[in-house]
Amino acid sequence: MKKIYQVLRDNYEDAGQASRDIKSTLKSIGLDPKVLKRVSIACYEAEINLVIHSYGGTITFQVDDNGIVCLNFDDVGPGILDIEKAMTPGFSTASKKAREFGFGAGMGLDNMKKCASTFHITSSSEGTHLEMRFE
Amino acid sequence: MKEVVSYLNSRCDHCIKCLKSCPTDAISIVNGKVIIDDEKCIYCDVCVKECPTRSLKVQGSHLNETLHLHDYNIVLIPTSLLSDLKSFEEFQKICQAVLSLGFDEVEQYSDIEGFLYKKAIDESHRKEGVWLTSFCPTINQLIEKNYPTLYEHILPYDYPVEIKARKMREKYKDKNIGIYSLCECVGKMTLAKHPFGNNESAIDYALTISHVFPKMNKLKSDQKYPIEMNRYGVKSNVEDLFGNRSRSVVRVEGLNQSKSLLELIEFDQIQHVDLVAMYACYQGCIGGHYLWSNPFEGCYNIESMLDECTGDIASLKEEEYIKMRSFDRKDMLSMKERMAWFNRVNEVLETLPQFDCGACGFANCRSLAQSVVDGKLSEDACVVLRKGGYHETR
Repeated sequence: MKKIYQVLRDNYEDAGQASRDIKSTLKSIGLDPKVLKRVSIACYEAEINLVIHSYGGTITFQVDDNGIVCLNFDDVGPGILDIEKAMTPGFSTASKKAREFGFGAGMGLDNMKKCASTFHITSSSEGTHLEMRFE
Repeated sequence: MKEVVSYLNSRCDHCIKCLKSCPTDAISIVNGKVIIDDEKCIYCDVCVKECPTRSLKVQGSHLNETLHLHDYNIVLIPTSLLSDLKSFEEFQKICQAVLSLGFDEVEQYSDIEGFLYKKAIDESHRKEGVWLTSFCPTINQLIEKNYPTLYEHILPYDYPVEIKARKMREKYKDKNIGIYSLCECVGKMTLAKHPFGNNESAIDYALTISHVFPKMNKLKSDQKYPIEMNRYGVKSNVEDLFGNRSRSVVRVEGLNQSKSLLELIEFDQIQHVDLVAMYACYQGCIGGHYLWSNPFEGCYNIESMLDECTGDIASLKEEEYIKMRSFDRKDMLSMKERMAWFNRVNEVLETLPQFDCGACGFANCRSLAQSVVDGKLSEDACVVLRKGGYHETR
């Protein structure tokens, strides 16, 4: 199955909505709790990142017939300048507004990579594309 | 486990209040009969309270059928009982009245509650991550059945009432004793051997407070039972553990609030809390369905008695209170089979209106679709589609 969610820039009110839906879908499938935990944490982190850092984009959620979960996060910019730096625990470029909401403590990308089985990220000024698979 | 909530068909008006109120979608109405799915039921009291015709009941054991089966009968009273009484003296009188129902001994377990709460705080501070207390049976069921990723966060402690029952068995090991647990809520009822068949329990029978209350009230006199309660155990029933609203310990009451918090923990968004104490009822155990008074004043009743709760705190060895929980997944279907089933459910769901109206007897369209795929119902079970109202309304 496949489902696409739109994520709007700076929409803090609904931030996490897609992750909640994905989590509940995976629960009704009966995914192994250990995998579900990793998917939930990484998905939420990535969704919040789209809201805080990007100009908006989409989350594509797929589960194949063997229960392998694949998440794609595609945004339309502004891109991550230095991915390696962004992967460092504690490094954050979150805006003041985001921090006031308690978001943007850094660690996001690094944490996601730890949760996912495979983690691919590419970025340019036109957008960032992140693919995570969970087995 | 035997059926916990029983259904009396003759009284039922076939409204769908139970169905719509169930926090875990465990209820369906098929062929005019209410069915409660034990794999989803978390033994809260919501449907029992919601039913306008009192068709849903939880029946405890009956004293006159069981007292004569044992040589010595012990009743364990819940600490929350204090909240229904105006003074500690009244509480002692009530304990004497409970004894007069035909028991040989009245015992309490606030000393064990106090010990375990202290332990919970100590341990959660020392260990990494968020820990969840294990004292509310309904919350434990909620986590096991709906938040499986958090199951391993529950502190590995047994229930105080269960620990007390084991201690009593040890104390009277040469006697044929009967152990009763007087219960303030449905969740606690499910812990005993009877009537619901939890065969591993050291508690023989579960009784509801409201069931024995009329008789006990008549038996009440000026005679007092010499019972001692522990201050910490009593306090833990009403307050944010030891009364300190600290950032590292959070108390949450009510199923909806507990669910919101569990959702956040699943996303790893609760990061500065060591221990979460969740209770299914408002104000915790003193909000139990079978207490006769109310939790709004109840918390003040308890506060006023604290100085008289001078009993010692228990001191337990690990083997006495640790209970390792293992998560056994019931469905043995392979991931491939589960995916195929899920895809079929989605196909059926697409044909349904998805208003989740409940008219078909299922809490939502997804539950209906699951039953259709499982072959329990025919595809025309949707009332809205049958009446042809779907296209006009959307």
